[in-house]
Amino acid sequence: MNLLAVEHVDTGYGPVAVNRDVSLTVGQNGIVTILGPNGAGKTTLLRSIAGLVKPRRGTVTFDGRDVTALHADEKATLGVVMVPEGRHVFADMSVRENLLLGAYCRKDRDAVEADLALMENYFTILAKKRGAKAGTLSGGQQQMLAIARGLMARPRILLLDEPSLGLSPLLVSELQGIIIDVREKFRAAVLLVEQNAGLALSVAEQGYLMNSGRIVASGGIEELQQSSVMQELYLGKRAQAKGAL
Amino acid sequence: MDIFVQQLVNSLSVASVTILIGIGITLIFGLAGIVNFAHGEFLMVGGMATWFMVGAGMNFFVALVFAGLLVGALGFAAERCLFRFTLNRPMNGFIMSIGLSVILQHAVIRVFNEFQKSITDPVGLVWTIGGVDVTAMRAIVVAITAVIVAITYFGISRSRYGMALRASVSDRDTAELMGIPVRRYVTGVFIYGSLLAGIGGALMISLFPITPFTGSVIIIRGFAVSLIGGLGNVGGAVVGGLVLGLVDGLSAGYGYPEWTDAYSLVVMILILVLRPQGLLGGTLGPKAS
Repeated sequence: MNLLAVEHVDTGYGPVAVNRDVSLTVGQNGIVTILGPNGAGKTTLLRSIAGLVKPRRGTVTFDGRDVTALHADEKATLGVVMVPEGRHVFADMSVRENLLLGAYCRKDRDAVEADLALMENYFTILAKKRGAKAGTLSGGQQQMLAIARGLMARPRILLLDEPSLGLSPLLVSELQGIIIDVREKFRAAVLLVEQNAGLALSVAEQGYLMNSGRIVASGGIEELQQSSVMQELYLGKRAQAKGAL
Repeated sequence: MDIFVQQLVNSLSVASVTILIGIGITLIFGLAGIVNFAHGEFLMVGGMATWFMVGAGMNFFVALVFAGLLVGALGFAAERCLFRFTLNRPMNGFIMSIGLSVILQHAVIRVFNEFQKSITDPVGLVWTIGGVDVTAMRAIVVAITAVIVAITYFGISRSRYGMALRASVSDRDTAELMGIPVRRYVTGVFIYGSLLAGIGGALMISLFPITPFTGSVIIIRGFAVSLIGGLGNVGGAVVGGLVLGLVDGLSAGYGYPEWTDAYSLVVMILILVLRPQGLLGGTLGPKAS
């Protein structure tokens, strides 16, 4: 059974329609990516899955339960946790407080302490910066903190919105390992929204390509990579795509 | 010197009421983005309720607790029935709060009347502290406020709920993503702020007479206090309240008393011109994403 299923979802803000008839699934322990150019509606889709935006139509099912109408905090409690784009760490609060806030929805207080140690052990920079205000961290460090904070909730699925944004190539390759570990070490499925195709294609097994608010191609990652729509729309290799046809 | 100490205690007791209302204004603004103009009327209702209960023979300090609870319930009702629906449009909430303030004023006039009400000093003692005569009730007002300020401050800076509250103030959407029930915190802040306004009203009527229109005067002072300290910053409301209270009290003692309100507003204007974010720095309200 799929862990997450999005079916025929429309989203929008006020008079502006963003997503149209979007359907996708993420399996148990899957790593799935949504690729697409800037403004394709990827973030809005993710926000509607996380509960920050109400879908106008369609359903979101998590672990066999209809969660379409739930608010973000209720979904986080169920295990659907989003790491927002641009990190959004609580800048005036310490690194440690940020991590503790990630675990707000958990009842098992003792295990939270253990997880705090686990995160500081895994993201070593966070141990060094434990008492520092999150706003004083570098962009890369803030991204690590945002992911660690999301993991503190012990999510069953982690929704990552453009984690590579603004990171150096070196950090992006580190991020690659972290995303794999989210599944291997922290036992959460991943839905990754990215513009950086290199990163997304290297970690995901399934992919969806989005353009103008719709899914325009989908499939296994190899398959998606080869598809003409991908070549044409996303990688901008129009000529090459034509040649291949 | 004696007179100076007396003026100081007097100023602090006046500042206390302003601080209590300022904390409520600043908390509600920080989380909900609303400057609740009915907050002054909440205080007035607390004072009127105290007047009524004391008149019916109740002990003042018991009446104070009931006034706080009553106004807390009023805040709860206002949030559930009105402000909940304007959460995403703070400007509408602001306008609505002006309407609510007029309704509350006239409801009180309807139930009682428009004349000023007062109670006799509930303690009726003068303490001599270090050779200086101090009205006991004024000292008690200052002490109660100090306790409330300490509880609020440590609650916000140390407790888990305070941490979640600060997170919600700094980034509402992300706080929700972390599983923090922000809407419940908004309700909680309305109740707490209103509770403090109710207590403030009870303390106020123990010092001065109040009328159904007291709220519209006190809201300006409460708003000034929050602005001076930095809107959304609880420590700022305390500092602002002290600054304004001291300016008030000392100018009444040493300057021209008829200019008292003008002095404090001039101080507010000066601070806002020189330091627009307030003395301790405010939050400018909830950030939209």
